[in-house]
Amino acid sequence: MLNRRRFLTTSTLAAASLAAPGLVTRALAQGEALKIGVPVPISGAFAANGKFATIGALLAAEEVAAAHGVQVSTLDLDTEGKPATAVRKVQDALAQDGVKLFAGGILSSESLAMGKEVERGGGAFMTTAGADEITGVDCNRATFRWSVPTYGAINETVRPIIDALPDAKKWYTITPQYVFGDGLLNAAKDVFQEKGIEHVGNSYHSLTDKEFSGYLTNAIAAQPDVLLLLNFGAQSSDTLRQAVSFGLKQRMTIVVAWASGLEQFEALGPDICEGVYFGAQYWHGADSALNRELVAKVQEKHGFNPNYSFAGSYICSKLLLEAAVKAGSPDGAGIAAALNGLKYQGLTGEEEIRAADHQVIKDYYLLKGKAKADMADKDDYAEIISAGKSFLSPEDAGCAMPA
Amino acid sequence: MIYLFQVLNGIGLGMLYFLLAVGLSVIFGLLQFVNFAHGAFYLLGAYLTYDLTMRGFSFWAAMPLATLIVAGIAALIEALLLHRIYKLPHTFHILVTVGLALVVQELVIIAWGPLGGSVPAPEGLQGVVILGDFIYPQYRLFTIGFTAVLAGLLWWLLEGTRLGAIVRGGSELPSNMALLGYNTLRINTAVFGFGAGLAGLAGALAAPIRGVEPFMGIEALSVAFVVVVIGGMGSYTGALVAGLLVGVVQSVMTTLWPEGARLMIYVGMALVIALMPRGLLGRA
Repeated sequence: MLNRRRFLTTSTLAAASLAAPGLVTRALAQGEALKIGVPVPISGAFAANGKFATIGALLAAEEVAAAHGVQVSTLDLDTEGKPATAVRKVQDALAQDGVKLFAGGILSSESLAMGKEVERGGGAFMTTAGADEITGVDCNRATFRWSVPTYGAINETVRPIIDALPDAKKWYTITPQYVFGDGLLNAAKDVFQEKGIEHVGNSYHSLTDKEFSGYLTNAIAAQPDVLLLLNFGAQSSDTLRQAVSFGLKQRMTIVVAWASGLEQFEALGPDICEGVYFGAQYWHGADSALNRELVAKVQEKHGFNPNYSFAGSYICSKLLLEAAVKAGSPDGAGIAAALNGLKYQGLTGEEEIRAADHQVIKDYYLLKGKAKADMADKDDYAEIISAGKSFLSPEDAGCAMPA
Repeated sequence: MIYLFQVLNGIGLGMLYFLLAVGLSVIFGLLQFVNFAHGAFYLLGAYLTYDLTMRGFSFWAAMPLATLIVAGIAALIEALLLHRIYKLPHTFHILVTVGLALVVQELVIIAWGPLGGSVPAPEGLQGVVILGDFIYPQYRLFTIGFTAVLAGLLWWLLEGTRLGAIVRGGSELPSNMALLGYNTLRINTAVFGFGAGLAGLAGALAAPIRGVEPFMGIEALSVAFVVVVIGGMGSYTGALVAGLLVGVVQSVMTTLWPEGARLMIYVGMALVIALMPRGLLGRA
């Protein structure tokens, strides 16, 4: 619903265990309140992602409240996927609701805008958005990023596929025209150049496009060996669905560089996903202790497996809230001090927050869609082909972190 | 050669846009009612088709069933709620139908979840037609043919039959029609259900192409309004011409200027508003 603004309060004042996870020392007094804003698109084209993100944040809030005996509330802020709306909602939350912690921003454009606003407001912001600039040339003291940026996403998808398919020399790209799409496209072009791949064409599209048949006709005309989709969420699902209906799966390899994870597989179904490569920030089948714990908890509480939107929002919220408990305050400076250099066992295994640019160093996965007959359960849509960490150095990314 | 295929693809798109817009145009033309819930009926048609096919119905059964259910729901809403506001200014029409659209959208999320899904093309139409280096899905070719036949039937129904004359009479001279013994309230309900049913049919036809997701109604509504504004409010032929024009322009522009393809349909609408405020074929 438009302008939905819910205040979801978890008052899970812990009778429960105060046995804090190793990385936290409890500095907030018992009963003190923490608020975390969840600025994500709850309406518009990316609403499905936003709706899962709000539940993920809520779970993190409940866990931190239970673990540390503090009151934690989440404030959902519907950004509608629009930077101007996102900034206005964040300004209101800072000024009127006293919120200093923000976990959200699914689109890069809104995340870049919100990060600057949160920095001005003296808070802390952690996002899953992808554009390199977020922890690159536009890095700031308040902004942290859990997801692998576009550079790593391309390097962990395009490189392994080039190695696996040495005869696939011609690639075509379809790209959304905004900072995230350009980040992926530029990274892909660099890899193409290095590996001697011919980039036979690119179609830009707007963020509001739903019809991709024209772009696919352009791709068909270019006769590529590989079609690389650089869009996200419902747009990449629409493109893939239409590409499959045009019979492209039989004529070329299709790669979705930045899939939104399980929710995308559920929306598309196994027939469309079979044989398609997907880059992913998170997969519920990843083998790590925290992930197994999260999957079990979400299964018990909600009856489904966590997807990327859920998991990303969960881990961002959890990291910020635990940092606030440790720092004894939600103020940005204390959060930064608590997070910078932090190594922890995360959803993808060992993760580390790099102090120089506030980028979390974590794995990115290359998945391949399974045939329906090979699925072990209803969510076993894909196998993990490879996983790895690829990051520009803070200097190469262009981050000059303000003192 | 590529432009030829973009034109063909644009015709396919345009026929879907026509089907989406013609119901809106019929409702406005005959009832003088601005229906911002039109996209919600498209959404409902798509989701009902999705649901029915998931339950094992064939697409050929699901499509007409979904259309009839949407038409029935719309007629019920008209009879219970909307006919009370016909005589109020258009702002009330907008207010009530926008609210209705939001209610439908949220009900869809409650019923089917926020994620959306895919509807397979019907058996026999899942393949592609290959012409030289180009490919076109059989199902999209089917939608072009099906919608063309439907367009002819609609024209005949509205312009060439006694039923069409009664409907037009109910809109233009309701008091005369009442004197002749016709129940204009029922005529209005039928017209509204018919127009909304066309949106439901467009949703059902689009489901195998676009899949379903809860916010597809908003995009559909904006395209329908662009087509109706360009073609002329209330003009059946205008909806057909404008639908094809918008589809072809959008498709060809994806080759000429891909990033501006969608923008161009709104630029086209702005030009028509500036130069021909009643639309290409609107009534004076």
